[in-house]
Amino acid sequence: MAETAPPRLWLRHLVFVAFCLAIVFLQLLPLNTTPRLLPMPDLLLVFTCVWVIRRPDHVSVATVAFLFLLTDFVFHRPPGLMAALVVIATEALRARATSLRAASFGLEWLTAALAITAVTIGGRFALTIVMMPQAPLGLTLLQMVMTILAYPLAVAIAWSLFGISRPAPGEVNAFGQRL
Amino acid sequence: MARGKDTGEDYVAPLRRLIVSLIVILLVAIFLVWRIDNPRVERLRSEVIDTVIPPMDWVMTPVTGIAKLLQDFQSYQRIYEQNQDLRRELQRMRAWREAALQLEQENARLLDLNNVSLDPALTYVTGVVMADSGSPFRQSVLLNVGARDGIVDGWPTMDGIGLVGRISGVGQNTSRVMLLTDTSSRIPVTIQPSGQRAILAGDNSIYPLLEFLEETDAVRPGDRVITSGDGALFPADLLVGQVALGTDRRMRVRLAADYGRLEFLRVLRAPPTEQITDPGSLIVPVPPEGPALSFGLDDTPDGDDPDGAAPDAEAAAATGGSDG
Repeated sequence: MAETAPPRLWLRHLVFVAFCLAIVFLQLLPLNTTPRLLPMPDLLLVFTCVWVIRRPDHVSVATVAFLFLLTDFVFHRPPGLMAALVVIATEALRARATSLRAASFGLEWLTAALAITAVTIGGRFALTIVMMPQAPLGLTLLQMVMTILAYPLAVAIAWSLFGISRPAPGEVNAFGQRL
Repeated sequence: MARGKDTGEDYVAPLRRLIVSLIVILLVAIFLVWRIDNPRVERLRSEVIDTVIPPMDWVMTPVTGIAKLLQDFQSYQRIYEQNQDLRRELQRMRAWREAALQLEQENARLLDLNNVSLDPALTYVTGVVMADSGSPFRQSVLLNVGARDGIVDGWPTMDGIGLVGRISGVGQNTSRVMLLTDTSSRIPVTIQPSGQRAILAGDNSIYPLLEFLEETDAVRPGDRVITSGDGALFPADLLVGQVALGTDRRMRVRLAADYGRLEFLRVLRAPPTEQITDPGSLIVPVPPEGPALSFGLDDTPDGDDPDGAAPDAEAAAATGGSDG
């Protein structure tokens, strides 16, 4: 079955992975080593949400798990925790992707915001259960809000750079299957 | 893959659900193992960073350079005012230089009188900053020197002037410096004229807090803060910065190191400190020697026998082959 899959789909998987790695790379650049007042939004999370809601067939679960496990290690987060939460959240979004296709943008944004909030709060909750020292609550919430606010911007970027938009009703893929 | 809505969905959906649950269980297991056996997973983290970051360096350096160039370019707009400022500053510095020269001569004379030799143990390794932590919750940078260059966990790191942080995590080719501004950074310090002891605690702001000050009244903004060497964690008398009063009326430290431009850092070779290699023994007392020793004796012959037998068999086979 894998042989008959169109190469375009693999290419699109690759595009997503390459784009995410580019984000990681930009975040790692040692441009500003002083603590900032406003934390940057979690770009990787917000773009993953955009992709999973708009084009769930371009992002596999394994990709999400791998990317977030890698960044857990590289960004000095508790390894595995964020990755597990994001996999659960993206699966929930994926299940709603079909029904969100016809919904308004406001509803889509709200759904993404709920997923981002769940990831943030779930992470803090898990760290509390295992009694880990945590980052300041204010900073975490501020980053969560920034991430949610960045969603429309991420949608615009994904659309203008990669043409990621919600499939129109009745749109078909290369095989003529309905999306 | 059968992604069609009409057929195939029946068996793909449960399989997919199974794979997703397996992935989630695996990830949670990694997290729990990290919580239980932290040192080992942190070593794994160092190895992951060690393999991921250095290959990116060849493109990271030029991009960082160009971005810094652009930042600097903005400051060219007020180059004339800057020039005037620098001239005035230079004038002031000339006076200071004169004073410093006199003090240096006096210092040399006094050292000579007392026959003091400075501590030769404080040599250093210089590293280049390759990457930062990439997350707003962690204040750390990655250096391009690691276990290969003899870097050891816990060594202090300075820029040319002041303390920057300590090594926390060493890979083969890279090592991570936890900056003083990180929320988990705690350094014992002395405040100079009054001799008060305190703990310098990072709180994710550029001015770390002074905690556990005994007499706040004896400390004034502008006092020098240096490491105290308490707990044998750090060498004593490394310059950290100056006391400053925060906007929240708490004592903070204005760091001497230039955190805006961390490029080259010195890692000081400090005397060895406590190494944390296994999770339990720091908290749980080590079990008495007797049973552990007998276990070890029981185990080793069992473990050795097959290993010892295998080469003999191979050798026999080899000789047999050559004979035939």
